[in-house]
Amino acid sequence: MLKTLIRRELLDNLMTFRFAAVLLITLLLVVVNTVVLTQDYEQRLESYNDSVKRHRQDLRNSKTYSTAYLFIDRAPNPLSIFNVGLDKRLGNYIGIYHGFMPTLWDARMHGTDNPFIAFFSSIDIVFVFEVILSLMGLIFAYDAIAGERERGTLRLILAQPIGRGQILLAKYISAMACLLVPLILSLLFALLLLTRSIPLSTADFLRIAGIVLTSFAYLSLFYLIGLLISVATPRTGTALMLAMFVWGFLILVYPNLIRVTVNPGGDIQARVKTAHNQIQQIIDEYERERQKFLENEGIAGETSEFSKALGFYHQADVNPVTLTTYIENMSVISEIRPDFEKYVPVAKRYYNFVLPLATRTVEKAWRIRKQALDEIYVRQARMDRILLKLSPVGIYDDATQAWAGTDLLGLRDFFEAAQRYRKIIIDYLYAKDAFSSREWFVADKGAVDWSTLPQFTFERSDVRTNAKRALPDMFLLLICNLVLFMAIVLIFIKSEV
Amino acid sequence: MWHIAKRELYDNLNSLRFALATVLLLALMLTNAVLYLREHPKRTQAYHNAAADAVKTLESRSTNLYSLATGGPGDLHKSPSPLRFCAEGDEAFLPTRASGANYGQRIANMPPVWRLFYPQETPNLRNIRPDFTTLDWAFIVGYVLSFVALLFTFDAISGELERGTLQLTLANPIPRHIVLVGKFLGAFISINIPFAISVLMNLLLISTSDAVQLNAEAWGRLGILYGIVILYTCLFIALGLLISAAVRESGVSLVVLLLIWVSFVIFMPNTLASIGSRTSVPIAYEKFWTQRMRLADEAREAYRDKYGDSQTPPSVHVLGEYVITEAEEYERFNEAYLKQQIEQGKRARAITRISPTAIVQRLFESFAGTGFERHLQFIENVQRYARQYREFVIDTDRADPESLHVVGIQEGMSQKPVSPEAIPKFKDTRNLNRDFNTAATDLLLLVLFLVVLVSGAYLAFVRLEI
Repeated sequence: MLKTLIRRELLDNLMTFRFAAVLLITLLLVVVNTVVLTQDYEQRLESYNDSVKRHRQDLRNSKTYSTAYLFIDRAPNPLSIFNVGLDKRLGNYIGIYHGFMPTLWDARMHGTDNPFIAFFSSIDIVFVFEVILSLMGLIFAYDAIAGERERGTLRLILAQPIGRGQILLAKYISAMACLLVPLILSLLFALLLLTRSIPLSTADFLRIAGIVLTSFAYLSLFYLIGLLISVATPRTGTALMLAMFVWGFLILVYPNLIRVTVNPGGDIQARVKTAHNQIQQIIDEYERERQKFLENEGIAGETSEFSKALGFYHQADVNPVTLTTYIENMSVISEIRPDFEKYVPVAKRYYNFVLPLATRTVEKAWRIRKQALDEIYVRQARMDRILLKLSPVGIYDDATQAWAGTDLLGLRDFFEAAQRYRKIIIDYLYAKDAFSSREWFVADKGAVDWSTLPQFTFERSDVRTNAKRALPDMFLLLICNLVLFMAIVLIFIKSEV
Repeated sequence: MWHIAKRELYDNLNSLRFALATVLLLALMLTNAVLYLREHPKRTQAYHNAAADAVKTLESRSTNLYSLATGGPGDLHKSPSPLRFCAEGDEAFLPTRASGANYGQRIANMPPVWRLFYPQETPNLRNIRPDFTTLDWAFIVGYVLSFVALLFTFDAISGELERGTLQLTLANPIPRHIVLVGKFLGAFISINIPFAISVLMNLLLISTSDAVQLNAEAWGRLGILYGIVILYTCLFIALGLLISAAVRESGVSLVVLLLIWVSFVIFMPNTLASIGSRTSVPIAYEKFWTQRMRLADEAREAYRDKYGDSQTPPSVHVLGEYVITEAEEYERFNEAYLKQQIEQGKRARAITRISPTAIVQRLFESFAGTGFERHLQFIENVQRYARQYREFVIDTDRADPESLHVVGIQEGMSQKPVSPEAIPKFKDTRNLNRDFNTAATDLLLLVLFLVVLVSGAYLAFVRLEI
């Protein structure tokens, strides 16, 4: 019996105009946007490759350790085509040296960054689905029960020996089967277009499967919302109006409305100020120890002969707004005058003393800075995300970002790798005794050989991590689905025909 | 005709959609006012402080014409528009200042002459919050009001056709176009009631606040914006009637309308803009930077080759020419890059004109004095002021008979102090005439769309078989 019902519903749905229209528009939007996004990705990839090449060249041109330009680049994520998240927005290259912590907050951007087109948000595939799938779900559901009730066919069906739950189940299964057609078909087209120019790994396909699964749950949620409205309202017209306004509210209005709620405002500055003072103290302490060393060696003073001999450039600073902390210790000279040669052993001792100190200092400062920035920005972003989850769009967006690896955690993975790389570089410098070597400050007896420097590599987190990050949101979607379905069954059983 | 309009109106006023639309629009407009009142005073304050600082720095240099000639006018700030609640545009991404200063390397032991540059700002670089669209009037009208308009009209004809009431109406001795106009008016009024109420509440909230003063010009601009809203709603009502008459079935008509709406309102502006921006891509900023550096190095080397080794320093005139050319070259280079960026912005915007929502967004920006066109105006103001400032320096120098009239060189210029009041100050003005000029094409396009859709609806309805 269930089978007959499903077949009837399926035929009813498939033969309609709305099915054809929805299929066509989904295909069109997904294909057009995929083409645009693929080109955009290729452009970003090219910019990334250029930047890597330039940074390699810069490093090779560096003659001494202290003036080395070591930068690492963040490659664009191919899955950003599905959900761009923060991938395009945050900085994509960052410097690596002992007196600086590479973090998400200090990365810079290469490539064309034109402020005059920043306004046009890039539409990713998940956004297309967010809008279209939800609309589809509601359009297919609003008259599922209300329509039959109006036409009187509901009575005919209920006169048969079938449970009411079964009718709902039949309607749900057949509608979902129909709605999956545009979803799967457009995704296949998108993949076809994508894989022609962007090579995807097996892991990427698994991640895409995760995105598809989430999309399915999202679609089903909106179908159920429509069904709930259809069951609860007596007339199709009312059901339609309600469904449309619910859609407008959940998709258009609510995600933008929550901007009103969160505004920590005033105490940001106070928080930044305390952190700034704390970091300043750490830097002051570093400066004191440095001065003490210089005095002990009898070479103090920025204008002393020693600092002239070394072409000294020293700076230790913390930015009062971003709290970026850096300590630079450089010698900008191409050779040492013969009468200054006597300073070379002192210089070696100096750098050997001050560089580990600087390394420790910025690490200490970063701990304070991380806490402050987490409290200010990360907490606010989390709060936004949680509030957004009151609309299914927010949950869907979060889950797909987690799958694609373009969420905050995915981006943080990169910067954590950058911090590990900094450690590796420092260890390498220790191993080569670079801090106390002549090549640290002057290249007159041979430039630094960079060929043995460890290379930076970054692998995106494995699928299991992506899944772990996406699962809570997927469960949330699932629970919403179940609760809604139960509510619908309850209302339908109680309702009079 | 009024009879029909009245009937439609009563029908609509009692409906669920009217109530929902009122609540939705009211909530959005009030939120808009609250957000604006929270942020605008801070913005204005920051602007006034920055502008006052800039003037103070400028006046402190007035002791010496030479320092005015090399130091330049300093930072030039863009004044925030009081109508930013109407259209935020891309304000959040655009730089708020240009700068005329002489940062950079010294040339032959002299400070270089000032040049204009346009700082790049990437405010989003540290932004980890989710994406928001700002709830400005442009969003409320462009997205929400058009959506509401479709929901009011999708069944205007097909619904009556299904219920059979259309036959009854047409059996009366009324020409069809009168029926259509009646329906149009009915829908128009019933959409405008909630919108007018919410706009009034919005403006009430904003005008009663002490923090914001709207002058007569601002109110005039608001009037123009309301006129645009009327055009835009008419457009969507006409579209709704057209599809409703052409499709004959309410369910199908709604699906068609929604799909049209989704493509034209949500997707087209952004997708077309990304396609359009592909047609003219500026070079990467690093490349531009490297090129600029190389240019400066080359100029310096050329100078050194010519005069570096000679024991006698070159004459004041040679030096003067050198520093001036260096600054001019540099400034021209900055401007060329800016032009590339603007060109891309223009291309991206030009192609989106297929979508009425994008047109309305642009119109709102033009008349609210925000966004891209406004920024272009600001850049024009800056460039005009730069010319004025340079002329002022030259003229003041000419007025002094003791001077050698070599601008940019200490010994070559007038040594007399300049009165601080005489220095031209930067004023960032907006010009309604110019706004009309930039908006004319968009307005005409909007009217054209409207005419096409209205005649479409008329034809579809007149030829409708019942």
